[in-house]
Amino acid sequence: MALIMVRTAIIFLVLLVIMRLMGKRQIGEMQPFELVITLLISELACIPMADASVPLLYGVVSVVTIFVLHELVTLIDLKGKPFKALLSGKPSVVVNKSGIDAYELKRNRLDVSDLIESLRAAGYFSLDSIDYALYEANGTFSALPKQGYESGQNSLPLVILSSGKFDGKNLKFSGLKQSFFEELLRREGVRQRDVLVLTADGAGKIYLQENGKKYRTLQTAYPGGRSW
Amino acid sequence: MVKSLLSMLLAGLLLLGAAVFEGLFVRTQFEAFGEEVSALIQKAEEGTANETDAEAVFSAWEQRRDRLHIWLPHGDIARIDDYLSESVRCLKEGERERALAKLEIVLRISKTLPSTYLVSLPNLF
Repeated sequence: MALIMVRTAIIFLVLLVIMRLMGKRQIGEMQPFELVITLLISELACIPMADASVPLLYGVVSVVTIFVLHELVTLIDLKGKPFKALLSGKPSVVVNKSGIDAYELKRNRLDVSDLIESLRAAGYFSLDSIDYALYEANGTFSALPKQGYESGQNSLPLVILSSGKFDGKNLKFSGLKQSFFEELLRREGVRQRDVLVLTADGAGKIYLQENGKKYRTLQTAYPGGRSW
Repeated sequence: MVKSLLSMLLAGLLLLGAAVFEGLFVRTQFEAFGEEVSALIQKAEEGTANETDAEAVFSAWEQRRDRLHIWLPHGDIARIDDYLSESVRCLKEGERERALAKLEIVLRISKTLPSTYLVSLPNLF
């Protein structure tokens, strides 16, 4: 029985470390240790239930051990600040006043398209409509919009260039040619491979951010008066 | 907070107590069973073991078995059951050598089985 307890504790710790290493992509609205417990409890309860050769007591012991560990971790989470960061992680500020923080995104195993998806889900369609955006420790997304951001959201911005690569599908949707954006980059003195993100909306507003630099917005006219 | 601490402490103590009890209970059960099997082996070696001796060891094991089912995986108990019933049959039919071989296995299992549930590095991994 003591063996079952220690084995349960080992599996719990291993899963917790793995969940923390996987970053915020893997969790949603639960602290990492809560997700680990949810994953474990159902399995621990099921095995002795389905396999008659395993004493039922083994399932009970494992589940009670998980309860003790949960209470212990909750206590540490509430009382010790350094432990809280270690166990549950810290919020990651992925967008600040300079634009997207690519390092923070990478650290959480996310890319620009994930960020834009989160922004859209939160009701912000343009990257320059927010001052700050962060992924909380439990994986939820929060953003602080700029004052009067609604006025700038009158057309759908499309990700044309992300991490130095053109998005063919969005280019097709925009009806613009790749050469148009290559020319725009040349005018701005930006190399394609240095672009972290370039979005274009239907009204001609371009959001451009190079790796490690502050973003800039440009106003341009599309060939043939194109808009969407 | 107090409720949480108390429940954690209580559950922890309960687990610890159950683990200590399980360790002691399984060890004493297998020690007593091992002694019975050793005595049967000695008798078989001397050529004095008969059907009644074998049946007595088996029925004592049956009583223990029911209690051990709560604590041990049923597959481990079934192994002892199989070897012991085979050796009883061999003794009934006068196959002393075969009965001794089976009883040696039972004795070996009764000595090693309790230690497989102890917290040690090989058991953990």
